[in-house]
Amino acid sequence: MSEAPDLSENEALAAEHALGVLNARDRADAEMRMAREPAFAADVEAWRMRLAPMLSGLAAVPAPQGLWQRIERLLPANDGGIASANDNGAIMNKLRFWRNSAVGGFALAAASLAGVMVQVNQPPVVVERQVPVAPQGQLLSASVTTGEGSRVQPLFTASYDPDRKALIVTSLLPEGSDRDKVHQLWLIAGKDNPKSLGLVESGKAKVIALPTELMAKMAEGATLAVSLEAPGGSKNPNGPTGPVIGAGQLSRL
Amino acid sequence: MAAAATTSDILTPLMTRIAAGEREALRQLYEATSAKLFGVCLRILSDREESEDVLQDVYVTIWRRADRFDGARASVMTWVSTIARNRAIDRLRARGPMAYAEQVDDMEIADGQDSAETLLSAADDRNRLHGCLSELDDRTQSVIRTAFFEGVTYEALANRMDAPLGTVKSWIRRGLAKLKGCLQS
Repeated sequence: MSEAPDLSENEALAAEHALGVLNARDRADAEMRMAREPAFAADVEAWRMRLAPMLSGLAAVPAPQGLWQRIERLLPANDGGIASANDNGAIMNKLRFWRNSAVGGFALAAASLAGVMVQVNQPPVVVERQVPVAPQGQLLSASVTTGEGSRVQPLFTASYDPDRKALIVTSLLPEGSDRDKVHQLWLIAGKDNPKSLGLVESGKAKVIALPTELMAKMAEGATLAVSLEAPGGSKNPNGPTGPVIGAGQLSRL
Repeated sequence: MAAAATTSDILTPLMTRIAAGEREALRQLYEATSAKLFGVCLRILSDREESEDVLQDVYVTIWRRADRFDGARASVMTWVSTIARNRAIDRLRARGPMAYAEQVDDMEIADGQDSAETLLSAADDRNRLHGCLSELDDRTQSVIRTAFFEGVTYEALANRMDAPLGTVKSWIRRGLAKLKGCLQS
């Protein structure tokens, strides 16, 4: 092979990130650059595509029976068919699960949990079927915080924009923090069990498209909470598996 | 990839429907790709249970990110395979440092029955990459493949190979530059 010109420093970094050789700190830096520099993100993506054919030689192995059904149950709320529990037992279990993980959560989150706890400690009630309603046209925002008194620390901000049918969430945590974990955002409206709104990466902003069912729940006083989860998010679609690290209520802008 | 962009990709229309929130389209994509992606997860994780977990996560990720798919840049199979690989590597890293303890050994790609291949026209891309990789010296090929399939960091590679960090880094960077040159020629 003839001598190839060296890659530029930027492209070398993009290639290294795509290949996966960067250590955790450099990986976090690269992720941050991808979020801020579209050209760098495009370089990484191009390298991922260059290397991907290595995967095409691998043997196909039939996925286990029943896996699709499990996946379908896990599909998050960005669609029209939210998996909802309709029997009392399941709801009891889910609420218990939520409550346990909340109680076992970080001590530093205890104060901001108070609001959440009040709601989950109410006796389980059959979830009322939500009738989709037209957007109210109400802009709402929430600050998801941890700590108490003078030590309240904002972790996330969220704004609900009914015109965009979206919730815009910004993580205020440093990029790459909680590296081996992910932050999962939950909506707790009334007595319903928590609805996952998806994962939010540290230091990044995300626009979460909301289906009508969830838009109807975006109301003043509804709580947003964030839990710390293993990669991939909570295994339980109806509540956090990991500790809740912060919570805050939606209010009018 | 050039071949991906020019070959009609029968899976592409599914991506639009998935991005629009159509579960049936995701189910069809699952039918067409799950065996391939399960193979990817198994290759990286060597653990069936973990691979099942990751595979679940991969389809949930596809569901969330389908709107980011760009058919001009990659075939659907390339795109979803990359998601599967990255998720599996994330899981591998989450196992902790012990996951990196083993030695570099036979990293040859297992050439399995690729039932999906005719669907996916991946053969051209694969052969090209294969050809270009084989032009690299054995050591460079081996470290690039190890890094790709195991997500092993420079530090861990240097440790395994008992070579200075800067040297390993230079092998890989030179190798990647050559690879790019070869793929473009």
